[in-house]
Amino acid sequence: MTRWSTEQVEAIAPSAAALSAARPLTTVAAWGGLGADDRAVWGSCRGSGAEPYDTMVDHVGVVTRCTCPSRRRPCKHALALLLLWSVGDVPDAAPPPGVVAWLAARERGSSRQTTPRAADTPDGRPDDASEPSTVDGCGRDTTAESDRADSDRADSDRSESDHDAADRDRARDERVARMHAGLIELDRWLDDRMRTGLADPALARYSTWDELAARLVDAQAGSLANRIRRLAGLVGASPDWHSDVLAELGLLHLLAQAGRRLGSLPGSLADAVATTVGWQVRQADVLAGVPDTDTWIVAGRSDTREDRIEVRRHWLRGETSERWALVLSFAAYRQSLDTSLTVGTAVAADIHRYPGPALRALVGARHGDPIDPARPPAVDLASACDGVGSMLAAEPWLDRVPFTATAALAAVGSQFALTDDTGSLPLIAGGTPLATLLAVAGGDPVDVTCEWTPHGVVPLAIHLDDRSIDIGPRADDSFVAAS
Amino acid sequence: MTTVDEAWSQLVAVAMLGTDRRNPPQPVGVIADLVDDTVRATPSERMLAQVAATVAVRRAGVVPGPVRPPVAGPDPDARPVCIPAAVDRWHHVIASWPVLEDEWVLTVIGNGWRVPPELAPTILIRHRNDPIRRARVELACGPLASWLVGHLPDLAARGTAGSAPDPRSEEIAELPALPIPPDLEAMLYADGERVARQLAGAIDSGALVHAHRAVLVNLVARMRPDSLRAVAAALDAIDGGAIGFPLASVLADLARTRERMLDELRPN
Repeated sequence: MTRWSTEQVEAIAPSAAALSAARPLTTVAAWGGLGADDRAVWGSCRGSGAEPYDTMVDHVGVVTRCTCPSRRRPCKHALALLLLWSVGDVPDAAPPPGVVAWLAARERGSSRQTTPRAADTPDGRPDDASEPSTVDGCGRDTTAESDRADSDRADSDRSESDHDAADRDRARDERVARMHAGLIELDRWLDDRMRTGLADPALARYSTWDELAARLVDAQAGSLANRIRRLAGLVGASPDWHSDVLAELGLLHLLAQAGRRLGSLPGSLADAVATTVGWQVRQADVLAGVPDTDTWIVAGRSDTREDRIEVRRHWLRGETSERWALVLSFAAYRQSLDTSLTVGTAVAADIHRYPGPALRALVGARHGDPIDPARPPAVDLASACDGVGSMLAAEPWLDRVPFTATAALAAVGSQFALTDDTGSLPLIAGGTPLATLLAVAGGDPVDVTCEWTPHGVVPLAIHLDDRSIDIGPRADDSFVAAS
Repeated sequence: MTTVDEAWSQLVAVAMLGTDRRNPPQPVGVIADLVDDTVRATPSERMLAQVAATVAVRRAGVVPGPVRPPVAGPDPDARPVCIPAAVDRWHHVIASWPVLEDEWVLTVIGNGWRVPPELAPTILIRHRNDPIRRARVELACGPLASWLVGHLPDLAARGTAGSAPDPRSEEIAELPALPIPPDLEAMLYADGERVARQLAGAIDSGALVHAHRAVLVNLVARMRPDSLRAVAAALDAIDGGAIGFPLASVLADLARTRERMLDELRPN
């Protein structure tokens, strides 16, 4: 059974508010009868009502059901249940009779349903009445539905697999239409920003950005929504914020245009654009791909808070392939981040990459114990910039690109930069990470793994002969739980 | 020819005002090649196309800035760096047994070690307020401490700790006294087997209970180092079902931690 990632759960949330409402329910104490198998996840949530709400999610068909009175689709209980499951807090179990009956009714229902869904509206936006088939309404009366399904079943001469395939195709088409409409709306919004200018006071209001982000979530473009929310934080954040915001608006335009022309893009670029826009790829599909087997050096780690989710990035470097890979893990409040990869070690493992030229990958089978110590090869700063530039030429929208360089520290006013004979790169570190880098390097060059970002270079790890020192930004202990 | 950076500056200037007030600049060079084949009806559309193309070109062309002189390193420190296990022990001590930290730092200094560079910022930040402890950690870090503070003023001592006492002062060299009741004081200096018997017996019989935990911690933190192994063994031997077992386990852990700490910092 492959669990969803937290990002996948976020992607089906109808709004940011729905996710916020779900967060307080992501504790095991709020639930009873939790369980999951390879088809569904279920539990009873003790809510404000006299009776607990029975919540179940078909995580294969992406359908939710809950006995709560909410009209949101999916409701906060279903989202909370999925979030709990995504971090491994729901035990494997045999489904109770209620869940078995619901799944059976769904199977029969999908065989019965042959009527086409409502057509898209002329402007390309799906009609409100035609909600995607992937997410069902909460509190639906499944008994009546199953009765009808029983009587119709005998008339159906199409195999269930044909219907499943048709359902999937229809769901995909509807999702593509929603995403397409969302990208048109995004481009229209960007055009307005160009017309009215960055001095427009509306840009200083968070709601300006949040409303757009919410609409992009509705359009199934969750990754772009996250980008918009991060962009809101740049407004007024530095003396050069106009330049930073304009650059990000340009990249959003690039993605909005490319996302509407996926069919005419080269295959790998189309995959990269689709995943950057927010097209979800199931972990099972990624893990089913051809593995990239190598000895992977864990070169660096960085934690960042995005909205209410802590994101951990592990940068791996293939010893033979010399390619980079990015392994992500996510944690909501009091949930745990991945601690299975230690900076300065190496592990022989299968890496399964996401579609396209993506850095992002999942770790599959591991072929032995970690090797300690291990350090990635380092280059000079000019070569490091060449490598970063090559990756950015392929995907200009990348926020972070890793490199390992041998460089000393130089003081530039009150700031610091990495420097060598080929040039310098400004650091954006502060506090203990910068102090540690300064203390270890002294006046000498050291091997350091960094993340290039549009705003400067973030040092992640110092590699010495006998060990590596992890200095990457670290999640707040009061937010994430200890593993 | 206009460079990409100059073109970007012009785009930012137009973006500030908006294309309702000012037309976007004419694209030139490589940017013109990228956007000229697109049909853009309005100034805002032309502006967006130019912005996107210019950002992509600028990012792909990332290059290092000018070469800068590296910072001069700190004065050399001939003392060896204490072993990684000692650093791990320090982290364990401050998380679980902070009562041992003073002794850890004084042992580092007394036995001729120095704090490794990666620990120096953390330990300097931790002791910014207390002048005695600040003086100790500066001694333990050596010339690196003042060098770091020179570059990163945030690491400097605060308040009275900024005027640290003379490093030769007795206050700095001696462990602070911990409150220990007179009837337990004899155990501070007795031989290990005897102390172990007395302590384990008193806990096992219920004469010493959880209410005495604070003073017993002080006792183990200050008793003769050569008593620690015997004390830990005697406390470990207390039956798991005994009422004093939880207290004995805690004190045994403290005794073992202190014994290992001193072992890791033996004179080089």
